[in-house]
Amino acid sequence: MSTKKVRTYPESSVVLTRDLSWPLSEFDPSQIRLIVYQDCERRGRNVLFDSSVKRKNEDTSVSKLCSDAQVKVFGKCCQLKPGGDSSSSLDSSITLSSDVKDQCPKYQGSRCSSDANMLGEMMFGSVAMSYKGSTLKIHQIRSPPQLMLSKVFTARTGSSICGSLNTLQDSLEFINQDNSTLKADNNTVINGLLGNIGLSQFCSPRRAFSEQGPLRLIRSASFFAVHSNPMDMPGRELNEDRDSGIARSASLSSLLITPFPSPNSSLTRSCASSYQRRWRRSQTTSLENGVFPRWSVEESFNLSDESCGPNPGIVRKKKIAIGVIFSLSKDEDENNKFNEFFFSHFPLFESHVNKLKSAIEQAMKMSRRSADASQRSLAYNRIVDALNEFRITICNLYTMPRIGEPVWLTMMSGTPEKNQLCHRFMKEFTFLMENASKNQFLPALITAVLTNHLAWVPTVMPNGQPPIKIFLEKHSSQSVDMLAKTHPYNPLWAQLGDLYGAIGSPVRLARTVVVGRRQDMVHRLLYFLTYFIRCSELQETHLLENGEDEAIVMPGTVITTTLEKGEIEESEYVLITMHRNKSSLLLKESEETKMPQCNCKYCSHPLLGQNIENASQQEKEDIQNNSKELLGISNECRMISPSDCQEENAVDVKQYKLRTCLDTKLETFVCTGSAPVDKCILSERGSEPTEETWQGKELLDSDNHPGKEIRATGIVVEKKPPDKTMPPLLSCDVTQTKVTFLIGDSMSPDSDTELRSQAVVDQITRHHTKPLKEDRGTIDKHQETKQTTEDQSGESDIQNMVSGEPGELPCWSHSDPENMSLFDEYFNDDSIETRTIDDVPVQISTDSKEHCCMLEFSKRLCTKNNKQNNEFCKCIETVHQDSCKTCFPQQDQRDTYSILVPHGDKESAEKKIAVGTEWDIPRNESSDSALGDSESEDTGHDMTRQVSSYYGGEQEDWAEEDEIPFPGSKLIEVSAVQPNIANFGRSLLGGYCSSYVPDFVLQGIGSDERLRQCLVSDLSHAVQHPVLDEPIAEAVCIIADMDKWTVQVASSQRRVTDNKLGKEVLVSSLVSNLLHSTLQLYKHNLSPNFCVMHLEDRLQELYFKSKMLSEYLRGQMRVHVKELGVVLGIESSDLPLLAAVASTHSPYVAQILL
Amino acid sequence: MNAIVALCHFCELHGPRTLFCTEVLHAPLPQGAGSGDSPGQGEQAEEEEGGIQMSSRVRAHSPAEGTSAESNSPGPKKSDMCEASGCRSLAAGHPGYISHDKETSIKYVSHQHPNHPQLFSIVRQACVRSLSCEVCPGREGPIFFGDEQHGFVFSHTFFIKDSLARGFQRWYSIIAIMMDRIYLINSWPFLLGKIRGIIDELQGKALKVFEAEQFGCPQRAQRMNTAFTPFLHQRNGNAARSLTSLTSDDNLWACLHTSFAWLLKACGSRLTEKLLEGAPTEDTLVQMEKLADLEEESESWDNSEAEEEDKAPVLPEGAEGRELTKCLTDSSLLSDCGSWQPRKLSVFKSLRHMRQVLGAPSFRMLAWHVLMGNQVIWKSRDVDLVQSAFEVLRTMLPVGCVRIIPYSSQYEEAYRCNFLGLGPHVQIPAHVLSSEFAVIVEVHTATRSALHPVGCEDDQSLSKYDFVVTSGSPVSADRVGPTILNKIEAALTNQNLSVDVVDQCLVCLKEEWMNKVKVLFKFTKVDSRPKEDTQKLLSVLGASEEDNVKLLKFWMTGLSKTYKSHLMSTVRSPTASESRN
Repeated sequence: MSTKKVRTYPESSVVLTRDLSWPLSEFDPSQIRLIVYQDCERRGRNVLFDSSVKRKNEDTSVSKLCSDAQVKVFGKCCQLKPGGDSSSSLDSSITLSSDVKDQCPKYQGSRCSSDANMLGEMMFGSVAMSYKGSTLKIHQIRSPPQLMLSKVFTARTGSSICGSLNTLQDSLEFINQDNSTLKADNNTVINGLLGNIGLSQFCSPRRAFSEQGPLRLIRSASFFAVHSNPMDMPGRELNEDRDSGIARSASLSSLLITPFPSPNSSLTRSCASSYQRRWRRSQTTSLENGVFPRWSVEESFNLSDESCGPNPGIVRKKKIAIGVIFSLSKDEDENNKFNEFFFSHFPLFESHVNKLKSAIEQAMKMSRRSADASQRSLAYNRIVDALNEFRITICNLYTMPRIGEPVWLTMMSGTPEKNQLCHRFMKEFTFLMENASKNQFLPALITAVLTNHLAWVPTVMPNGQPPIKIFLEKHSSQSVDMLAKTHPYNPLWAQLGDLYGAIGSPVRLARTVVVGRRQDMVHRLLYFLTYFIRCSELQETHLLENGEDEAIVMPGTVITTTLEKGEIEESEYVLITMHRNKSSLLLKESEETKMPQCNCKYCSHPLLGQNIENASQQEKEDIQNNSKELLGISNECRMISPSDCQEENAVDVKQYKLRTCLDTKLETFVCTGSAPVDKCILSERGSEPTEETWQGKELLDSDNHPGKEIRATGIVVEKKPPDKTMPPLLSCDVTQTKVTFLIGDSMSPDSDTELRSQAVVDQITRHHTKPLKEDRGTIDKHQETKQTTEDQSGESDIQNMVSGEPGELPCWSHSDPENMSLFDEYFNDDSIETRTIDDVPVQISTDSKEHCCMLEFSKRLCTKNNKQNNEFCKCIETVHQDSCKTCFPQQDQRDTYSILVPHGDKESAEKKIAVGTEWDIPRNESSDSALGDSESEDTGHDMTRQVSSYYGGEQEDWAEEDEIPFPGSKLIEVSAVQPNIANFGRSLLGGYCSSYVPDFVLQGIGSDERLRQCLVSDLSHAVQHPVLDEPIAEAVCIIADMDKWTVQVASSQRRVTDNKLGKEVLVSSLVSNLLHSTLQLYKHNLSPNFCVMHLEDRLQELYFKSKMLSEYLRGQMRVHVKELGVVLGIESSDLPLLAAVASTHSPYVAQILL
Repeated sequence: MNAIVALCHFCELHGPRTLFCTEVLHAPLPQGAGSGDSPGQGEQAEEEEGGIQMSSRVRAHSPAEGTSAESNSPGPKKSDMCEASGCRSLAAGHPGYISHDKETSIKYVSHQHPNHPQLFSIVRQACVRSLSCEVCPGREGPIFFGDEQHGFVFSHTFFIKDSLARGFQRWYSIIAIMMDRIYLINSWPFLLGKIRGIIDELQGKALKVFEAEQFGCPQRAQRMNTAFTPFLHQRNGNAARSLTSLTSDDNLWACLHTSFAWLLKACGSRLTEKLLEGAPTEDTLVQMEKLADLEEESESWDNSEAEEEDKAPVLPEGAEGRELTKCLTDSSLLSDCGSWQPRKLSVFKSLRHMRQVLGAPSFRMLAWHVLMGNQVIWKSRDVDLVQSAFEVLRTMLPVGCVRIIPYSSQYEEAYRCNFLGLGPHVQIPAHVLSSEFAVIVEVHTATRSALHPVGCEDDQSLSKYDFVVTSGSPVSADRVGPTILNKIEAALTNQNLSVDVVDQCLVCLKEEWMNKVKVLFKFTKVDSRPKEDTQKLLSVLGASEEDNVKLLKFWMTGLSKTYKSHLMSTVRSPTASESRN
């Protein structure tokens, strides 16, 4: 125990260097420009403010600027050093800007910037719109490279309506007014509009669908001036719509019942768990049956802030446009980085723009109210200040250091270094418990964090799913996975909500700031907290288009070998991974070159086909090499004595061996969609004990010859860290498996189809006897197939395939003896034929590819079938039954079908080819088979009908549309391990920052000076302009002061006086206990890994207690704290924590307790 | 992705027109929902509501309506001048295209316009804004615009070469519309890249056509000759050629459908989220293991249907197998008194009920033995009564610690079962009767009806019995007993707590103690630490008293195999101990 105190300092320097890994550092505040316009109905458009133009003299007021279209000069904005002390630099900026006249005389007299007109057009649009709400726009300007984010909103003078308006009222009001002011021709349109659309529609809340307030030409614009014809005006569209027979009024009124809970009701009855949150989001933003504006923050404002005389006649409206322009650098990479950051962090940018907007509104009111020049100057300075603050905030957000390896996310990514990670975590934990114990500092802080950053709760909620043998203690949520597939929501948004802890009810946003002068201490604490502040991990996946998948896998395939340390036995094993080198240029190249042209290439590009054919010749050879080499490996593997392995491991190894051999092939079964991430593999585990022995042999043998064999065959061999190569599931498994064979690019490591493939391989390995002969022949055949699909179309296509390749034909009829022999040759050498299945997709780069190999595969199956007395099918069938539990039935069924009815498959595969290539053949309605394809032009076999009948019922509804097989379907992880800047989990967990960054979920700062200045306004801003695009009840900030050893929670709902930042935190004894007991376990020399597991168990106890509390509170209005303590073991200090936890699963708790 | 992708065109006669648009139709309910997912179950009601809603929506999209809208649509009447040309994509009466993504049950449907009236105008507005209102520097390029009412739009405008058009080009845009602006903006880089790709292809094709046409018949020269005749303008206006002819690609619309569908799917699956859930509880693990064992034993089943159904009737099993199945199915119902069938009259409904019936002291003795893992023998004529007693008592223990022989005709050894039901006349060996590791509850028919007045008033059926609880060594009253027993008793005593709260309370207590069990297991069995250390550890766990230790040792037998093997293999890793030194 005593040794632990010594350990600390060298470690911390490591931490610091890791922090610097945040890749973004280049951004200067001067790259941000603000330009403000107003557009008055009478006076036209002019620039109110442009930070790129220098101010002539200080007397010029904002309102004066308004009236002239001339832009006055404003002083050069001070250059703030990113990462510099913001508070001081802000001050300096203010002085600078007021001194501008002296400092920058040369700018005097400069005029409106040259691009002002263009920018104005872009912000307002060339045609004014009747829509009164605020609009948001983003423009990308190519040269000079700039990105503009703009908002247009209305400002009223002499307003008729004050306070908050919703957009509906607004547009109604607008129409009323315009009736009196519009010119005759437009007027009729409007009248007609009002006449035809019932007022009831306007009055329906939240149904303010503004067909009624359509775009309307107010000012003739350049575009229209050229080609316009009065009939083009949207006004006409209204009539047209009506003529089209769409009974708008009827449908609108029938839709008046809100299908989804409105935000307000969702606050009360909300279902706040992760799953529900995501589901709700996908539903509320659904477009499927029309749109329902969810909630709108009122963005128009009243210029004259005295109250409203109900005098609509005087109402004049100005449109104000705020444009924030980010000048990008010349450097392409820098640009891309900023773009990526900007678009992924858009909610944060928008929130800051909103803040800027409020400041501008204030300034405009000020300058309008007063004729006093000094007032106006003040107003002007106010904008300048706001802009500077904006600039600093953005720069800080972009450039401040981040925590290099957030504990939770790193653990979650299934890193093989989990032991070290746990170890380091426990060391930091111990250090902090010993050195930051004053005032119960650590328990208090953890209490506050657990109470507010609630995303840990779903991570301890027990699930009922079968455990993964690998047992990473946790499962990734299958229901959420499925939701993401069937009802895609925005994972980035979900992650952001998790981080801010916005999953309780009512919704709260939480941030944590650690203040302390001792950077090292602060840093350690930040690191520690990244275990408790949790969120989901994001992975970028890349959906392959047809023909994009295996075709490029082979050339880019890399085999890696890694020495893995055995954990139970002390020996080392070699880990062989064959995969596409994901980080390599190859993928990029394929993305860039393939994607654009892929879309249509198979319809009309004969050239492409040739190219591919040429390429495939080479590939074929590669493939053969690969197969041989694989054969070599597996043969080698076979010679090891079983005694060397423990049984369990042997089983695992077998599993991997099998699954990996067939990884690529699996995909061929799946007609559409990526393979589901079911964990079916588990059910198969260990089911074939007879195989164990030879598998065990493999493992040791391959150990003896790590990469030699592979090199000899001329394939790229690369050493790679294991974490880079392994898909998550596999890497989790490291602890139990010694050898992982990953051959082929495993895009879906845990696909259910693996089961089938395993079965196939099992079968293969049992029956392999003959050497490979026909490999080449088949490849050729496949090429033919491909070629025809590329070059031909429609029926001619089929004809070609059938008649043009007489030599191949027999293979396709299952009864042909020749076919059988071909098949045997295929199948009888285990490794070779495992590859040949893969070969097929490699060469065929069109949609038909899948089906070709399906065909191929089924053919083999069926011949095998004949020969082996149906063993094959039985085998597969069994596998299927095993996997039924986890796969959803439809798919499962279909897959079964494709195996059990091979002839049918072959058949439909043929047809599918035709469908894929030829679109203009008129289709009949019969449609789709189990393969997801369509009608049969060639109905030689009854089997096809059988197959197609499976989906018949579902199909009927859709028979009218021409069915086109779904395009590419495979998903590849692009950045599984590499943290990405477009990932809030990495970008919002800040390190020790030189200044306070209001967006960071977690950060350390040296002094709370700046924090004190901003905190109140930041919190209220967070509530007013929630980054999550949903109503927020409260924003809180946890401030942990490591100098004073205090933990306070500041809230948007509380004003705190006497120099405090927030309310002191009550230490939950449950939290205190769990921290102490975990620490004690560590001190009793239990392994760090186990200590972390224990910590999770204890957190889960908190969850159970919250369940008990919520059960207790059900129907209760009063809480007997004493009773809670005596019976339930809940003390009053635990109550806030448990209530917050309970609010994530039982929303009613909040109503009772909070 | 919840978006609509559309191709728009600025027609010289009609202004901005939507040519082709692809929508996404989702299955009403996510397939993963409600499949044992606890959060999902919590809000089943809402989901169902959503489901109904959604399915009615889907119906609204039914092709019947679709085709009628399509065929009766203004297209043919209104755009006479452009018919079969620039302002139309699919010919009138063309049913549109559809693709199914089977895995996700998502359908991608393409028509010229969306059929839904609201969507129609959403797309219409977006189209007008994209081509008439919004200004993009250079006129070709991406813009984002939108608002909460009309949706948010990513638009990319571009030119297509046309030798007959004014300026030899026509103006188009591809737009993606969403209500989720954050999602759409997040996807900007991706959408830009992919849409740019589609555009490049279209432009490339059109350029070839253009060049071929220019080669054949140079329009510029021709125009110079016939310039300024009004006819020309008229004719040019009329000559709005279809995109199909501009690209000379008859499959264009089908291709676009494929591209758009792909785009929608790819954009929706571009980012995936890994969201961890907690580990299953030990009880869940043990139950699953038992289930797995059962399945292994009953390999004989053939059809997969049997699996879906309740297995109990199918299994050709002995008493034990049935018992296990029963416990699996029943355990979830235990908490729910209402689930007991009314015909079973002589039954215990809950621990609290049992405590009332037996009386506090007898119950305490019984519960003590139950918690310690001693053999609990019930002797009664009434099988239902005994079974209900076991069902109630077992809730005090982790699932893995429960071995029940519900009713036997002979005594079974303690290692076989810790809950044993016997007929009234079955002989119990003397050593068991005198053992301190067994407790016997004898159920006699009561001689007087009011023997146990406590709590029995409402329960006539049980009042006809006397319960005699005996053990070889009775627990002395002053012994503190295991902590968990005292807490359970407190919860049972407190009438303010509903049965559900008591159940939750039991869960909490069991989990709390199972966590201690795990530590002890790790410490003693995996790491094999010396006794002195163990004692220290126990005090850390707050379980150093003799009874607690006993309890922990018994409960250790209830750990799941999964957990144990996990600890054995994973946690005892060399790195962990090495790095410590």
